[in-house]
Amino acid sequence: MEDTRQRIIEATYACVARWGLAKTTVEDAAREAAVSRATIYRHFPGGRDELVHDVVVWQLLVFFRRLYDEVQGAESLEAVMERGIRFAHRSILEHEVLQRVMETEPETLLPTLTVESNRIRGAVADFLIPYLHQHGLSPGVNPDEAADFLARMVLSYMASPGRWDLDDPTQVSELVRGELLAGVVVGPEPGIGPD
Amino acid sequence: MTAEGARLRVVQGETEAGPGAHGAAVSPHRIRIVDAALDCIARQGTAKTTVDDVAHRAGVSRATVYRVFPGGKDELLGAVAETEMARLFSALGARMGAAEDLSDVLVIGIVEAVTRITRHPALTYLVAHEPDVVLGHLAFDESNRLLGAAARFISPFLIRWMDPEEAARVAEWATRIVLSYCIAPSAEMDLTNPDRARHLIETFVLPGITALRAPDRTQPVDLSSFAGDRAEHADRFQPSQYQTHPTTTTHSKGDVR
Repeated sequence: MEDTRQRIIEATYACVARWGLAKTTVEDAAREAAVSRATIYRHFPGGRDELVHDVVVWQLLVFFRRLYDEVQGAESLEAVMERGIRFAHRSILEHEVLQRVMETEPETLLPTLTVESNRIRGAVADFLIPYLHQHGLSPGVNPDEAADFLARMVLSYMASPGRWDLDDPTQVSELVRGELLAGVVVGPEPGIGPD
Repeated sequence: MTAEGARLRVVQGETEAGPGAHGAAVSPHRIRIVDAALDCIARQGTAKTTVDDVAHRAGVSRATVYRVFPGGKDELLGAVAETEMARLFSALGARMGAAEDLSDVLVIGIVEAVTRITRHPALTYLVAHEPDVVLGHLAFDESNRLLGAAARFISPFLIRWMDPEEAARVAEWATRIVLSYCIAPSAEMDLTNPDRARHLIETFVLPGITALRAPDRTQPVDLSSFAGDRAEHADRFQPSQYQTHPTTTTHSKGDVR
């Protein structure tokens, strides 16, 4: 049951990669997954909209799973954020399907992405909170407020680096220590890991 | 109208000249037509608004609209976006130019921008009913253009307190903050409230400016040069339920709700 659902999602993604988001139909997804249209509607009663939404959510989950793997074992809050930002930046640039959709038909993707961005922000903030506590917050800084601010800024740089070259480790380090963490945590410390 | 056409060009490319930039006289009807279009968008969005609606509302003929905007509806919508950006920046400039310290200029700029953007009638209608018209400007490459344009405009108001390179960086940072809290407003951090904006600036932004400026980043953050005369300006802002001085308040998870 769940296997079929996931198979349909991955088949739909393959169609999007080939033909774009707007041109992918429920029939295409059914053919690619080798199931009937009725099966698709049984798993996705909302039809095409639900299917597309779930494809986006699935891709986001894949991305965040890789991001978590990437920052696992980072020895400090700074290292977590630096690795995370560089990984996210690379992943977005190298995501061919995302890049093509954003270039040719952004209006098909952006509404879903914008709605999801609230959940993404919450997930990034929740992820950061334990690191903030571990590192030690500046006096008077509310951890939830700080985590929300950091999540907002991280997502902003990820989506639009602006003047920052996020391929350059020196710049990313400067960004993290300056615009991101300077007001949030007490002065830079050596590693917080068990070394 | 195609979805492609519905994506307004908010930020003119640097090589593109704006209307009237070729030395041609600007029609006296131009601003009346733009304002009429703005009214129409605030009531019924861009998809339903026709050139006839706009002409009727402006009290001019259809032919006049096409004489001023030969590109028709698409050009008109572009002119609306451009005019509203210019109005936003001009209001920001008037307020920020009167600021007396760095903390002030950032607070005033952010509050003014967030307030104007989130309460803009046409924009509010579009966000609710035609989000794809707006969203294209807020993501990826288009957002980079918007960040660049806003930062170029805002940085001159910061050079009283920092060198131009630093001003450009801080201006872009402030623009990110405005965009983030406009796209996803926060109940706990309502940036139309000057006290909350000041809290955000003094907690997260000023220390970051200091940190990137100081050659030795292990030094403690010194805010005295930024926020020295804050108390004198306290009467400029409305009282609020929130604390103005974050360092004297310890929020727990519960009391910001």
